[in-house]
Amino acid sequence: MTAVTAVTDHTDHTDRIDHADHADHADRIDLAEQAEQIGQADQAEGADRAECCGPSGPSGRTDRAEPPRHVKRVDAGEPEGSGAESAAGAWDDGLIARRVSDTGVFDVEAAVDTHVPNDVGAAHDDDAALMTRLDALRELVGLSRTRVDAETLAEAGHVLDEAAARRRLSDRHTVVAVAGATGSGKSTLFNALAGVPLSETGLRRPTTSAPIACSWTDGAAGLLDRLGIPGRLRRRPLQVQPGQPGQPGQLGQHADAPLKGLVLVDLPDHDSAAVEHREQVDRILALVDAVIWVVDPEKYADAMLHERYLRPLAGHAEVTFVVLNQVDRLPGEAADLVLDDLRRLLDEDGIALGEHGEPGATVLALSALTGEGIGELRESLDQFTREQGAASRRIAADIDAAALRLRPVYATGRRSGLSEDAREEFTDRLADAVGAEAAGQAAERAWRRNANKACGTPWLRLWRWYEARRAPSITFTTLKPAPADEEATARQRVEHAVRVVGERASAGLPGPWGQAVREAATRGAAGLPEALDELALTAGTPAGRLPRPGWWPVAVLAQVSMTLFQVVGGLWLLGQIVGVLDPNLGVPVLLMLAGIVGGPCVEWSCRMAAKGPARRYGLEAERRLREAAAGCGRDRVLDPVAAELLRYREVREQYVKVTG
Amino acid sequence: MLQKAAKIGHSSHVVTLDVRPQLLDALSALRDRVAAARFPLPLPGAPRARANRVELLAQLDDYLVPRLRDPEAPLLAVIGGSTGAGKSTLVNSLVGRRVSEAGVLRPTTRTPVLVCHPEDHTWFSRARVLPDLTRVWVPRRPDGRDSGAPAATEDGEHVLRVETSGSLPRGLALLDAPDVDSLVARNRVLAAQLISAADIWIMVTTASRYADAVPWHLLRSAKENDATLVTVLDRVPHQMVAEVSRQYGALLAKAGLGDVPRFTVPELPESTGGGGLLPATAVAPLRAWLTHRVQDPTARGTAIARTAGGIIDSLRVRTPELAGAVASQYAAALRLTAAVDETYRREHARVRTRLQSGGVLAGDALKRWRSYPLDCTPAELLDALTESLGALLLCSVTAADERIDEAWRRDPAGAADGLAARDPDLETAEHRIGMAVRRWRRMLEEYAEEQVRALDATPPPDTELVAALLATALLGGNRARSAGESLAERIGAQGALRLRDRGGRLLTDYLDKVLAAERERRLAPLDALDVHPESQAELIAALSVLQKER
Repeated sequence: MTAVTAVTDHTDHTDRIDHADHADHADRIDLAEQAEQIGQADQAEGADRAECCGPSGPSGRTDRAEPPRHVKRVDAGEPEGSGAESAAGAWDDGLIARRVSDTGVFDVEAAVDTHVPNDVGAAHDDDAALMTRLDALRELVGLSRTRVDAETLAEAGHVLDEAAARRRLSDRHTVVAVAGATGSGKSTLFNALAGVPLSETGLRRPTTSAPIACSWTDGAAGLLDRLGIPGRLRRRPLQVQPGQPGQPGQLGQHADAPLKGLVLVDLPDHDSAAVEHREQVDRILALVDAVIWVVDPEKYADAMLHERYLRPLAGHAEVTFVVLNQVDRLPGEAADLVLDDLRRLLDEDGIALGEHGEPGATVLALSALTGEGIGELRESLDQFTREQGAASRRIAADIDAAALRLRPVYATGRRSGLSEDAREEFTDRLADAVGAEAAGQAAERAWRRNANKACGTPWLRLWRWYEARRAPSITFTTLKPAPADEEATARQRVEHAVRVVGERASAGLPGPWGQAVREAATRGAAGLPEALDELALTAGTPAGRLPRPGWWPVAVLAQVSMTLFQVVGGLWLLGQIVGVLDPNLGVPVLLMLAGIVGGPCVEWSCRMAAKGPARRYGLEAERRLREAAAGCGRDRVLDPVAAELLRYREVREQYVKVTG
Repeated sequence: MLQKAAKIGHSSHVVTLDVRPQLLDALSALRDRVAAARFPLPLPGAPRARANRVELLAQLDDYLVPRLRDPEAPLLAVIGGSTGAGKSTLVNSLVGRRVSEAGVLRPTTRTPVLVCHPEDHTWFSRARVLPDLTRVWVPRRPDGRDSGAPAATEDGEHVLRVETSGSLPRGLALLDAPDVDSLVARNRVLAAQLISAADIWIMVTTASRYADAVPWHLLRSAKENDATLVTVLDRVPHQMVAEVSRQYGALLAKAGLGDVPRFTVPELPESTGGGGLLPATAVAPLRAWLTHRVQDPTARGTAIARTAGGIIDSLRVRTPELAGAVASQYAAALRLTAAVDETYRREHARVRTRLQSGGVLAGDALKRWRSYPLDCTPAELLDALTESLGALLLCSVTAADERIDEAWRRDPAGAADGLAARDPDLETAEHRIGMAVRRWRRMLEEYAEEQVRALDATPPPDTELVAALLATALLGGNRARSAGESLAERIGAQGALRLRDRGGRLLTDYLDKVLAAERERRLAPLDALDVHPESQAELIAALSVLQKER
């Protein structure tokens, strides 16, 4: 049955990729929901498939037989798929693995669910939320693997592994460790709770050197295996008869608090000179669901306990008990004083205290020796185990701690991203690098020069020609060969532009992500100058001759007629002087004057008229080059950078989901 | 009895340690060297070296120098141990009245209390030992509890409460120290400092915590320093005295401390009952031992000589350790400097290559050059070239900065506070480079003007034109060959050659100057840390002088 479920599950995904329009089922990550609806969803998918693929088969059974082939077709037929799909595949390796493992987890979950009487409705919601957070954390780790170093991710990976391991095992049991300093009476308390002297107590310090477990209910073998407690160190409490686990009524003198599902682990001390004890304690504390810290009036303020254990585990307050043992050694009201002081210290450690019904650590005073206060502890333990939420709470607290530690890698106080200004500036710098402005100006001037040449008075042109002939060396540079320049683009400007835009984009990003953004920018810049060189050749040089506006012939005509006026007026006057023509001074003089004044006038007005088009022409040339450069820059640098930023944002979202 | 004590207290001939002024001088010289050692770079060993330095200073200042200077000063016995071990109760019981507050709340002792005979008061009221602790004298309230003197005055100074009691023998002072494993970190540091000031360290532990790691660590270091040590096993329930005592003895023997005097104080109702005094019989052996140390000249001399000699001996190991840390600091500083130097050297080479290949004559400048002289004035060409040169320099400087940042990030020493807090003002770098480049341009124009003036051609060529052509020829590399030709045509081949020579030298000068200035700016914070190799040699030299004087 499990195999069938897995196969259908898999097909669902491929099917979705195939028919992208199945957006209504896009929430494929939500496995909890999927788990509930798996039957109906399957039916729905079947129906959809029937619609899409035509007459494939009327019944769901045949449909179900088809999927394997279907999968194969998708895999083989579209090996690379579209860009988006292959991209998704590229960084989704972890995801696929996750899905597989998740189904495994889910199956166990479902199997367990069927056993457990459905008396915890709220716990189910919590469970779903926890599931979501775990998934988000897994996704986060998967997405970050290429960006963040493995060491940083190790803890999150560890949390994930342990959470998966714990969830695979019985959730009817609650594993509680008894931890404390040497001589604070851990073993005595352990024995007092068990009702029989299971763990050796003594004066010799340190007494207990290996953890001892005691389970009140059967079926905890897997859990104890996980803790690495060998069979010879597993005990049973006095009151439970073997073979009838967890049956109320069969219990001994503590029938009021059966402690069903409790697995108690007596730990070695954490502060003795025996280092291997500390290692054992650290290892097991990471695996248990809850901890009872045993302190005594002498040692309750030890730096070791508070700084090494309680402060880092402050987030685990809900699964923490702190008991002040040996109160029988304190006279009178001193016990209350010490207990209050202990509460104060715990508060300073940042541990929420479970007072007034709020969630938090339970703090009790007791004496394991005289039995004072043991009943109270037993009662709270009983309630604690009956809720069966310790494992989840522990995992949640672990996730919190991991998220907090990952905070500098993911969270940033400032707004991040590539601002419009930065993009603009980058474009400007690239335009500078290809010399867009200078090219535009040169084009504008060339146009104007041409216009002036065309519309100037002939006399002026004659003089210019003469000048050019007289001193040819001055203008020899016009004969400069214009070879195809290699490296026409200013490399240093491109490099600088890329560096600046990388800095801007990565400003405010946490270290590894900023690094990734900068790297993306640098990688994109690798072929950028060469591409810009090519651009400058194609887009920079206007094709063919300079364009001629429509009014040029008119202007040339006017200029010619002005010259004609001059010539005609001059000839007329000459004719009068010679006596060929009638003396008439007015008209020829006027004609000549008109020609003399009109010529420069026409030239000047042409110049004025040419200004606008020349400017437009130059701007157009500049714009063309600038846009080409900008497009090149966008493709090679800005887009990869934006993609990297997008990925960071995605990761950030996952992180927010993880923090809950 | 009292008179006998007085006589002995003031006699110095019993001190077996030979104290010569030369030894004291050598010690103070060494102390100054140790005080001068600095570990600003966050290398792996630096925190340890810093702690060692502080500890060494504390031992020299608080114990060794005062003790050698005044060998006849009273013996100081410091009672130290874990929280809740009953240190204050022990002091009170030894003195015979409640001088130090004892109680069930931890940590109880926040202010160290020094108890001495009234006639010894002057030894401790002035700053002979523990000079950085402010002395306070809190009037005792009738109920015997002190009125809660603060552990530190307002400005964060530690205080030391000095009490006098006639019941102590002359020449002995007891100091009740805070917990060695206190939750208050400052108390821990203070406790370690106080213990290092002790002639005799009385280590107090209890039946339930004699296996704790922290006191054992201290015990081991005390053994290394060969200090005079006594241990007290406190609060031992009657029924298990023999067993626990045997266990403890075995542990001590295993740690090589088997010969340390051991006293056992049984658990009595008074020991937890809110600071009552233990009966005199419970502490009589310890009291007798201490009195013997004070009143028997030989025993006293041995105790002092042992502790002082132990510290002097330990210097032989600890000073080179410190010197080694200094050396590794210097090595790290060198490494950081080398990274900067190497990067700038490479950037310099890169800039040179770019210049030769005409990298400056690209982009804007190239477009201007192409359209020159028809559509471009010499001034514009010169502007474009200057700007392009500035861009090249800025680019290489920022590239160098980036590479240095990366190199320093990889180096553990690169995380030092001052280094990261450099002002990476790109604007100012841009500004500085812009200034330099503009100055270069002005110089170039001056050269051109000089050359043109020397050339009496009619009409004289335009200065700006000459400057622009010169700049193009200098910066354009191979691609501006025609600029050189044009220049030669205008001012003659000879003049052009000379001008290009001068201009090229000027360019090299400015290039070197700009990059060197930026490199200096980059190194300034590192230089400010003042890590130099002399302190290592000085430490070793001071130690060898001390060894000779010993």
